[in-house]
Amino acid sequence: MPLPTPLTGDQVYHVCPENKLDFVTTDDVQDLDQPYGQDRVLRALEFGAGIRAEGFNLFVLGPSGAGKHELVERFLSLNAARQPVPPDWCHVYNFRFSDRPGAIQLPAGQGQQFKKDMSELAEELRTAIPAAFESEEYQARLQELQEEMAKRQHQGLFEIQEEANRNNIAMITTPAGFTFAPMRKGEVIDPEEYKNFSDEEKQLVESKVEELQKKLQQTIQQIPRMRKEVRERVHALNEEMVQLTLGGPIGELRGKWSHLPDIVDYLDAVREDVVEHAEAFQDGDNGPPAGLLARYKVNLLVDNAETVGAPVIYEDLPNHQHLAGQIEHRARQGNLYTDFTLIRGGSMHRANGGYLIIDARRVLTQPMAWESLKRILSSGEIRIESLERLYGLVSTVSLQPEPIPVSVKVVLLGDRMLYYLLSHYDPDFLDLFKVEADFEDDLDRNEECYELYARMIATMARGLKMRPLERSAVARLIEHASRLAADQRKLTAHDRVLRDILSEADHWAGQAGADTVEASHLQQAIDEREYRASRVRERSREQISRGVVMIATTGEEVAQVNGLSVLRLGASMFGQPTRITATARPGKGQVVDIEREAKLGGPIHSKAVMILSRFLASRYAGDGELSLSASLAFEQSYGGVEGDSASVAETCVLLSAISRVPIKQAFAVTGSMNQHGEVQAVGGVNEKIEGFFDVCKEAGDVRGQGVLLPASNVEHLMLRADVRQAIAEDRFRIYPISSINEAIELLTGLEPGEPDSNGEFPENSFNHRVAERLEKFAEASKKRDENGEANSSGGKDRD
Amino acid sequence: MTDRPADQADPGTTTGRVLVLLDGSRMSYAALQAAVGIAANTGADVLGVFVEELNQLRSAGYGFAREVGGSSGISRPLAAGDVEQRMQRLASEARRALAGAVASYGGRQSLSVARGHVIDEVLALAGPQDLLVLGRVGWSSEPGARLGSTAKGLVRRSRGRVLLWCESRAEPLGRVVVFLNDHHGANGRAVQATAEVVRHSHRPVTLLLGADSTVSADDLKGVAQDLGIQESELRVRSLPSTDPAVVAGILRQERAVELVLSRECTLLQEPGAERLLVALNLPVTVTP
Repeated sequence: MPLPTPLTGDQVYHVCPENKLDFVTTDDVQDLDQPYGQDRVLRALEFGAGIRAEGFNLFVLGPSGAGKHELVERFLSLNAARQPVPPDWCHVYNFRFSDRPGAIQLPAGQGQQFKKDMSELAEELRTAIPAAFESEEYQARLQELQEEMAKRQHQGLFEIQEEANRNNIAMITTPAGFTFAPMRKGEVIDPEEYKNFSDEEKQLVESKVEELQKKLQQTIQQIPRMRKEVRERVHALNEEMVQLTLGGPIGELRGKWSHLPDIVDYLDAVREDVVEHAEAFQDGDNGPPAGLLARYKVNLLVDNAETVGAPVIYEDLPNHQHLAGQIEHRARQGNLYTDFTLIRGGSMHRANGGYLIIDARRVLTQPMAWESLKRILSSGEIRIESLERLYGLVSTVSLQPEPIPVSVKVVLLGDRMLYYLLSHYDPDFLDLFKVEADFEDDLDRNEECYELYARMIATMARGLKMRPLERSAVARLIEHASRLAADQRKLTAHDRVLRDILSEADHWAGQAGADTVEASHLQQAIDEREYRASRVRERSREQISRGVVMIATTGEEVAQVNGLSVLRLGASMFGQPTRITATARPGKGQVVDIEREAKLGGPIHSKAVMILSRFLASRYAGDGELSLSASLAFEQSYGGVEGDSASVAETCVLLSAISRVPIKQAFAVTGSMNQHGEVQAVGGVNEKIEGFFDVCKEAGDVRGQGVLLPASNVEHLMLRADVRQAIAEDRFRIYPISSINEAIELLTGLEPGEPDSNGEFPENSFNHRVAERLEKFAEASKKRDENGEANSSGGKDRD
Repeated sequence: MTDRPADQADPGTTTGRVLVLLDGSRMSYAALQAAVGIAANTGADVLGVFVEELNQLRSAGYGFAREVGGSSGISRPLAAGDVEQRMQRLASEARRALAGAVASYGGRQSLSVARGHVIDEVLALAGPQDLLVLGRVGWSSEPGARLGSTAKGLVRRSRGRVLLWCESRAEPLGRVVVFLNDHHGANGRAVQATAEVVRHSHRPVTLLLGADSTVSADDLKGVAQDLGIQESELRVRSLPSTDPAVVAGILRQERAVELVLSRECTLLQEPGAERLLVALNLPVTVTP
């Protein structure tokens, strides 16, 4: 079987040819109008933004930092600019139900004018109505009225007094009322003298007094009715004065706003209210109470005077209040007061008729915000209610503003996991967010991509207001984008990472006093990022170089191989070798995964060990029984093992343990394996290879070491320059392997050997040695079983 | 046009007492507060006058006597003992109120309790230099009277100065209006009384001139001097008619807080004088 040839420098790195980039610096390149490579998202956005049907809100899903927000905002802004400006909305006092402020819709930009008109009207009321009450006409009429009524009121008393006087009877005022007594010359006759009166005279006096008392009683009892009449007539006079004063200004406003029936109705209600409260305007010095005039204010909730096209609003803190609005309170002497002027609109109000962009994770983490958002979208109207009220925590009387109809397209931004979780667990979600806009993580790297990707970089650079990039820097960034995508045929679409590298490169260019960003500045940016994240990696390597963690990079060992693993810490990841060992002895076809037994292995790793176990049985035991008790362990691994990328290495080390054939320690192995012994692709190959290369370098000179990796991973290689250099100098080799046999031969130097028609492996082949040793294990097991049976039957006999 | 006030050299003192007529009615207590305010400023003694009205006592002596309630109209028997008791109670309340009000500034006071006819008793007690303060209406305010018979009688017959008190709206920018006509002596007394009012209240003054009266610039300067105010604080208005409604209208326009006029002036000499006093809803000082 021909062995795979080591990869060349060209195979482990996809260079970006500078001749594909037809410019000197990015200043020579035009901006991209549309985001590059995000056709799926753009089509989804176009569809979602255009469709008017209910529930077609959007969820834009993609990894964090992919530039979702910028793309969505840019797209929607362009789209919204062609749409009509939505109307203004305002809240006004409800004169019928004071706790339910009314809502009035006005054409865009007219809200301010209406507010100004009402403010001027209130100001006019403040001065004009008191002036009307101060007027000579009013005062004279009031005086006349009061005098007339006083006269009528007094007239009765006066007439009784006159009648009493005519009959020589005095009407005397007492602290509690009146009394009558006979008099002479204006003085009450002494009661002693009265005794001398004849009976006739006495009867005359007393009957007259009684008659006068009755009349007085009747007169006094009419006084409250007369007073009420006065009050009513004064009120009527007040109303008449106010009506006359208001006629001009309100009539003018009615004419001006006649095209809006809601406003005309409101103005009529204002007039009635002012007339009803006419007396409150009478205080000419202090003016009418501020609270009364405040009722005629307009709370302009949504002002689209400056809006161009439909609004595109981004709510950075999407809590319940910010979304649906709130009713604020003002503290006065320890008490909290509110009125309709303290109703504040939320982002839903501002985005009404346009688009609202919300971060999905944020809206989900705010109490009740998600429920409020769904409620608004389901009902098609915004009700402003406090959070306490929604939770039922307070029952104090508050305002219930008239709901405002809403037509808003909500665009949620979030990662894929959130989208799938919401789809699964929230039954309303898919009813309300029917449009899925899925971001691409990577872009294809082909012949056409270079120009577009370069334009994308140039657009970003200009957006960042940084120095222009030279062609070499762009080429280096494209290569790095492939490395970030971990694929020679892909480029990362991760917006934030690219922007960060560009900003850092610009910083280093600035430090170097350069006018343009060169490839070296870009490389410095990459290296510095690597260095900043390298503390753990270096500590790990140091442990290996000092021999604390045992890794051999030379020589041969039985039942010991270098596996490769990847550690991800935050945004960075690095690879490092791990020693994998195995033991083998006769047994009942059992391969013990020590990691799993110690609960340090994950399910995928366990699955890989089971596959390996069945591969062994299938290849070497044939129809018989696999007599093996083996164990596998990742030495000095304390943090858990997951994944199947070590299954090739595990198979090799187990076969070495069985066959007692040593494995070359100069190699490290990665790759997963199926039950037929075929090698399958794994992840993180660049980091793994570089990790092993660094360990080899620190252990001494790199000479003859290498890595075995799945052939299907070759196109994922984008290796570091120093590794490429070692490959070019043939000091470090990378072997692409397709089957376990290739790995065996490379690691042991022995031909693996194919079975003949009887299933026998050729003499001296590696597989023959394995099969031979397993046969010995089987014999040993059989012997032991026989002994065991004999012992147990003897026992029985003895029994 | 005016005589110089006699006490201009020593504006802080007054020559007479402040008499206040107390009958236990709400308005009489309001008048007491006004009287005490004046006395506190001038240092005058306060003499409260409570008169046990003889007619009232006699009327209660009749076996058929009944009292008709001023508010309710309900008639109930009236006994002489009850009236005596009521008068004693009102007198002691008046005494307490007077003592309390005067004690607030540490002045001197006394209460005269007499039995007889109110006007006669008050006139007997009041000297020409005394200021008599009384509510424009007493107990008869409840059924709607706006000027009581006692007030009418005392305004007409008193030898000294009379202040008819009434509660009116607070006017921080209000003016004191003094009515002047061709009677020089009367004008002088009115100006002097006005000077005493504004000395402590620091209010601007309006001179209200009768139909045929005029005032020269020099006179105006003299009046301002007599009043102890700046000429800019003095305003002159002519009265086109003595009709009570017209006078009341002008006083409203001037935001008048008090009217000062002489008993001798045309306004009070004309047949409609009582109607004028009824129409005015502000304190009125009537000088000799």
